[in-house]
Amino acid sequence: MRLSFRAVKQILLLLLIVVLFAAFNGSVYMLLTGRLSNNFSGTDQSKMVDVKKFLPFESESELARIDSSLKLTEDLPVLDGAAALVPVYAAIVDNVYPKGSVVYEGGVFSDDNYYGENFAADSKMQYKNTVRGYRAIVDGETDILFCAAPSSEQKAYADEKGVKLNYVPIGREAFVFFVNQNNPVEDLTVEQIRGIYAGEYTNWSQLGGANRVINPVTRLSGSGSQSAMDAFMGERKIAPKSPLAVVGASIGFSFRYYMEGMVGDEGVKMLSLNGVYPSAKNIRNGSYPIIAEFYAIYREDNENPNIPVLVDWLLSEEGQQIVEESGYVRIN
Amino acid sequence: MKHRVFLGIVLCVVGICLALTVAHLLYAICAYQHCSIIQFIAKELW
Repeated sequence: MRLSFRAVKQILLLLLIVVLFAAFNGSVYMLLTGRLSNNFSGTDQSKMVDVKKFLPFESESELARIDSSLKLTEDLPVLDGAAALVPVYAAIVDNVYPKGSVVYEGGVFSDDNYYGENFAADSKMQYKNTVRGYRAIVDGETDILFCAAPSSEQKAYADEKGVKLNYVPIGREAFVFFVNQNNPVEDLTVEQIRGIYAGEYTNWSQLGGANRVINPVTRLSGSGSQSAMDAFMGERKIAPKSPLAVVGASIGFSFRYYMEGMVGDEGVKMLSLNGVYPSAKNIRNGSYPIIAEFYAIYREDNENPNIPVLVDWLLSEEGQQIVEESGYVRIN
Repeated sequence: MKHRVFLGIVLCVVGICLALTVAHLLYAICAYQHCSIIQFIAKELW
C-alpha cells in the first residue's frame, strides 16, 4: 500500500505534536522532576533521617556514649524532637534510661507520618520532628522536646491552649546556607543573603557568580530551619519568587550538623558568611555570624519529677559532653 | 484520511499529551513541596 503525500504529511504532523510534548516533558524532568526525592509517594520514599542508625541500646548505633552518673529507673520522661536532634536525645536515652524503655516498630510511612519512623505508644523515645513535635508537647503527649526556637504559629498554638512552655538552651549550632558544589560562589555577606531572599538579587551574576537565575529555596512552614530563617530575616519579608526560578541555580539553608553529619552533603557545599566558614571551631569561637541555640522544651505544669533532674544533667559537664560528642557545640 | 477524521485524531493526540503533561506538572509541584532540598540542590545541572 502506498501512502499519499497528504497522508505522509498528516502522520508527520502527529509525530511532531508527540515529539514536542515529549521534549517539553523531558526538559521538565531533566531540570526539575528528576531532582525531586520526596518522602510522601508510595514508590519513592526517602527518610529525612534514618532513625535506625541512632536507636538507643543497639551496639552498632552511632550514639555518643559516656560513663553517666545519672541513671533513671522510673518516671521516665518521654523524649521527642527534631530530625537534626535525634542523635542528642537518643544518646540521652542510651546513657540514662534503662534498657527496654524504647520500642521501635520500624519505618512505615502513612498519610500523617511523612517521616516513616514509628515507635510504640509507650516507648520513652518518640520521633515526630518539629511540626508535629511542638503540637505533641503542648498536647501533653511528650515530656521533653528537643528543637530549635518555635515559629510564631507554634507559640500561638501554646497560647491558645493556655500552656506555658519552658525553653532551656542546651547547645548551639550554625545556621548554614548551601549551593550546588559546581556553583562558583563560595562566600556571601549576611546582607547579600537577606537580599536574595527579599528578592533584591535575582541572578548570581549580581553577586559575582554565573549568569543564572537564583532559586532561593525555602522549607516547610513551622519546621525548625524555616523558623530559624524567618528569625534571620527579621523585619524583612521573604519575597515570592518567579515560578521559573525553580529551574535556576538554588541556594538553601539548614543546620550544619544535619546536612554534614546526618543526611550527607554530597553534591552541595556550605557557603562562608562574611568570610567565615561554618566549621565547629568557628561556631565555638563565635566568629561564624549565625549561631542558633537549640532547646530542651517542657510544659511548666508537667509534674514529672525527673524533668528538672534530666535538664540539670544536660547542662552539667556530662550532658554537655553528650551534646558535643553528638556533633553539636556545647552551650557552656 | 479525510480532513475531519484527521482533525479528530489530532485533537485526541493533543488531549492525551496535554493530560499527561498536566499530570506531570502537578506531580512536580507536589513533589517539590515535599522533597529533600539538599538532594534537589545536589542534583542541579551545571
